[in-house]
Amino acid sequence: MDDPKTLSKITLMINRAVSPGILAGLKEIGVHDICVAAARAPIIRERKSLFGMGTKEDLVDTPSDIIVFLVPQEVADPVLGHAIDAGELTIYGRGSAYSEDITVPAAHEIFQEPSPISVDLEKPDRGLRSLQKVCCIVQRGQGEAIAKVALYTGAGVPVIYYGNGTGVRDKMGLLRITIPAEKEIVVVGTTRHNCESVMDLMIDVGRLEQPGKGFIYTYLLKKGLADLQVSRGDRRHAATMEQIVAAIDQMRGDTVWRRWADAKDSAKRKQRGYLTGFVDLTLFCNAGKGAELVDAAMAAGASGATINTYRHICPPDSPMARIGLSREACSMVIPSELVPDIIEAVREAGAFTDQCFGQVQVRTIKKAFTYVP
Amino acid sequence: MKHRPAKARIKVGFKDALGMLGPYVRSRVLEQVKSVWLIIVYLVLFQTIVLKIPVAQASLIAFGIGLVIAGLTFFMEGLVLGLMPLGERVGMRLPQRVGLMPIVLFAILLGLLATLAEPAIQVLQTAGKSVSAWEAPLLFMLLGSHAQALVLSVGAGVGLAVALGMIRFYYSWSLKPLIYVLVLPLLLITGWAFLDPNLRYLTGLAWDCGAVTTGPVTVPLVLALGVGISRMVGKSESGTTGFGVVTLASLFPILAVFCLGIALSGSVPRPMDEEAFFLKENRERVKVLFESDDHMAAYALLRAGSVGRHSFFAGAAGGEDGFAAKLAGNESLRKAVFKGDESEFARWVREHGSPELRMTCFGEEGTGSEGASAGGGMDVGRLLAENLFSAVKAIGLLTVPLFLIMFVILREKMFRMDEVFLGLGFTVVGLCVFSLGIEMGLDRLGRQVGSMLPASFQSVEVSQKHKEICPFDPGVVQTALTPDGEEKSFFFAAEGGELQAVPYVEEDYDPASGCYLYRETRGPLFGGEGSLWGIMVVVLFAFIMGYGATLAEPALNALGRTVEELTVGTFRKSLLMQSVAVGVGVGLGVGMAKIIWDIPLAWLLIPSYVLLMGITLISTEEFVNVAWDSAGVTTGPITVPLVLAMGLGIGSQVGVVEGFGILAGASVFPILSVLTVGLYVKRVRKAVLKGDNDKHEEGPAIHG
Repeated sequence: MDDPKTLSKITLMINRAVSPGILAGLKEIGVHDICVAAARAPIIRERKSLFGMGTKEDLVDTPSDIIVFLVPQEVADPVLGHAIDAGELTIYGRGSAYSEDITVPAAHEIFQEPSPISVDLEKPDRGLRSLQKVCCIVQRGQGEAIAKVALYTGAGVPVIYYGNGTGVRDKMGLLRITIPAEKEIVVVGTTRHNCESVMDLMIDVGRLEQPGKGFIYTYLLKKGLADLQVSRGDRRHAATMEQIVAAIDQMRGDTVWRRWADAKDSAKRKQRGYLTGFVDLTLFCNAGKGAELVDAAMAAGASGATINTYRHICPPDSPMARIGLSREACSMVIPSELVPDIIEAVREAGAFTDQCFGQVQVRTIKKAFTYVP
Repeated sequence: MKHRPAKARIKVGFKDALGMLGPYVRSRVLEQVKSVWLIIVYLVLFQTIVLKIPVAQASLIAFGIGLVIAGLTFFMEGLVLGLMPLGERVGMRLPQRVGLMPIVLFAILLGLLATLAEPAIQVLQTAGKSVSAWEAPLLFMLLGSHAQALVLSVGAGVGLAVALGMIRFYYSWSLKPLIYVLVLPLLLITGWAFLDPNLRYLTGLAWDCGAVTTGPVTVPLVLALGVGISRMVGKSESGTTGFGVVTLASLFPILAVFCLGIALSGSVPRPMDEEAFFLKENRERVKVLFESDDHMAAYALLRAGSVGRHSFFAGAAGGEDGFAAKLAGNESLRKAVFKGDESEFARWVREHGSPELRMTCFGEEGTGSEGASAGGGMDVGRLLAENLFSAVKAIGLLTVPLFLIMFVILREKMFRMDEVFLGLGFTVVGLCVFSLGIEMGLDRLGRQVGSMLPASFQSVEVSQKHKEICPFDPGVVQTALTPDGEEKSFFFAAEGGELQAVPYVEEDYDPASGCYLYRETRGPLFGGEGSLWGIMVVVLFAFIMGYGATLAEPALNALGRTVEELTVGTFRKSLLMQSVAVGVGVGLGVGMAKIIWDIPLAWLLIPSYVLLMGITLISTEEFVNVAWDSAGVTTGPITVPLVLAMGLGIGSQVGVVEGFGILAGASVFPILSVLTVGLYVKRVRKAVLKGDNDKHEEGPAIHG
């Protein structure tokens, strides 16, 4: 049961008003195991300041949903296209959609037989290649500063969601209450060639080289459509810059042409001790079980985890309905050689029983950075 | 599940531990300082600068405020660490193990216990202190002899509400129809009650009950439980998030109190004038209001005016003095009648009693003033014990059922229980210290300001400034004329090198000792007697006080935290708190105006709730839930004593039948303000979604 299967993970980060349409569209083609997390997407709002002198900018938060599900690799592109159409995501300002390849080295049996997906294989492919995602985990309250990096570099519309961190704090008894567990997770998909500059700026802004500030990593996306509308306000041109960029992206099919990172940046980057050879092992399980399972994983060598909650959505008559309405995703960034040990540890702790309905998803991390003592 | 050997624990040295605790404690304390500074600074400044009266017992009050901050810090941290996670975990586990029926039963029990754990009845009795038996018999009965029935009906209301709230999560019902179904009949009853002389006075009590029932322990617990349960049940696509129970728990008790009132109204005499009330012919009908004949006699003695006393004691053997002597001589009777609080009787004896009676009551000194001041002083040990008891009771009554469920029904070992227990300990300590601080600091400060507040539009005695002029020569009294030719007596008093004209009141001169008791008065500070400006100052004062006090409310803080957490920051705690605080401020201002001008409550409630239902109709479910919930949350341990102090201060000066209804006002307007903010946010979000661009040209499809 446990030979690693490679699947495509599709992530949609969309305005909540668009979600019902997309969920209905996914149900239509037979995607029956969907997780939805609440999030917010900040964008810059330009306003005339008082007395009409110049403009003033602030951030507006939009309620968003992060929708994730797995599909077989061969249908990934048409399903992504279907989701993009269902949510009309090509009208930007509505959200982003990505697909990536992940492995599922272990899971509860219920995930062995995914429901068949009936999608039109000839569906036009709307995804761009050469995208890469940045994921940055910081203390609650710091997310906005990180998100601003993505907004002000035009990298894309970031999405922020909440999680709870475990790690050092859980090894120190009751004194742990002095260390806040609440985290903010900022994710943004951007062009592969600027991604690392964005990451570097985020490290600078978040002072991630200092202890206890946070963690950042990037991973490759296979296909995707990034929401570029980073601001809203008065327009004085026939098309906004974002519209022009999106149009050129669509024409070229990738985002290589948008490369702007210069040599100076890369020189600075070399001094940083990035972590490589890591993977992101995310254990999905029923709500309330995450903390225990992470405890077991930490005993097996994981340094900590970020847990966030998802709502599990599936038709009531599907076998997947047994899983439960509330799920937790425990994301652990670990050296890739630790994967088998940790899977063994969480298995022993009951991750793949009917109490937890666990599923492990592993994605390869391209580059990571945090404070290393 | 097998347990792996525990991972290596990090040993933290004492010094490092202190280093970690330092910033932690500082950030938590600062948070509370930020939430209470406004109300305290405001009250102190208002008293010293506007009313120009120094703060009496300033060091005690300062100490009390210190306790409030320390208590709030512990309490909030306890909520976050212990009570709310416990509620949420039980809420999440319960639906997995048991069906809907046990949950409903559990909810009813929890609602009942919540009412017993955080009794609002004292608050209501204080608010109803000025209610007289002849003007509002039904209200008098509910607050007096039938107080227990009132508490139970409110408890039943809260129980049903919590149960309905849980059922609602199961079936993912929208809150809106429930609001219409509950509020419409309530408004009809309110309108109908307005026409009935007895029920009219009940309106304020009923609506206030709705506002005060949900206390600072119940709200976070019910909220957490709701969040937990709604995560596990309901339709998967629905967005219900665990709010709404507090709303129902505010509306149901109103209905319950009205029902109780209507049920009892048949047996209660109609309101009548004081003389008729105490006449022998009416005795049989009136007696239902009192527990015994002696009770009624004592009531007549202490509370009735001379007309009523005359009418009551006319036929009785020995008259009023005879009854007073009987009371003074018989300790067990006193105990039965006054239930431990004899201060009013002592005051009556001091003011009206014959010298012999004074001797019997107070012994040789014959004044009883020392006794009175000792009674008014503080017994810190007793206060601490009382508050600790009520804190343990509140937390215990509410958490014990949760633990029972966890260990008996769910039989599940919970993860990280040490943190939960620590948190519960924090809540008990916090609640105890916090209520102690309220009693010692905030309440006193509030009472001082409240009693002097009417000075802004009429003259009020400064109670702290009694001076005796001894010996006093009545010869210095002079006469002045009003424009109508009426004579007024006054004399000049010299103080600190300044001459001041003081109105002369004949009763204050005691010819026996030759002393004149000189009571300093203050006001009207703004314009003449009863000036509009003065009243506007009071209304503005009420607004700012409501605003400041609301920001410090722990239950609202807990609600704000939950809302921010569940909306991932799209609905900020600060936005919620600010809009609720503005709403409460407006509500209190309107409530003050109601009392001063004696506006019937129905005139305020019916239009505002009709308006509310209209706005509810066009609002999003998210905001409807949060807005209506915040109404039940606003009136907590900080607002209520301040509002009461202010309401009683104004009410006693203006002479109203009952001071209820201010809290009800403080519940309506926050709903209005939060819903209004919601409408604005909805507009902004729509604009973001639509953007200012149309669907852009779809580029050629690209095949990877």
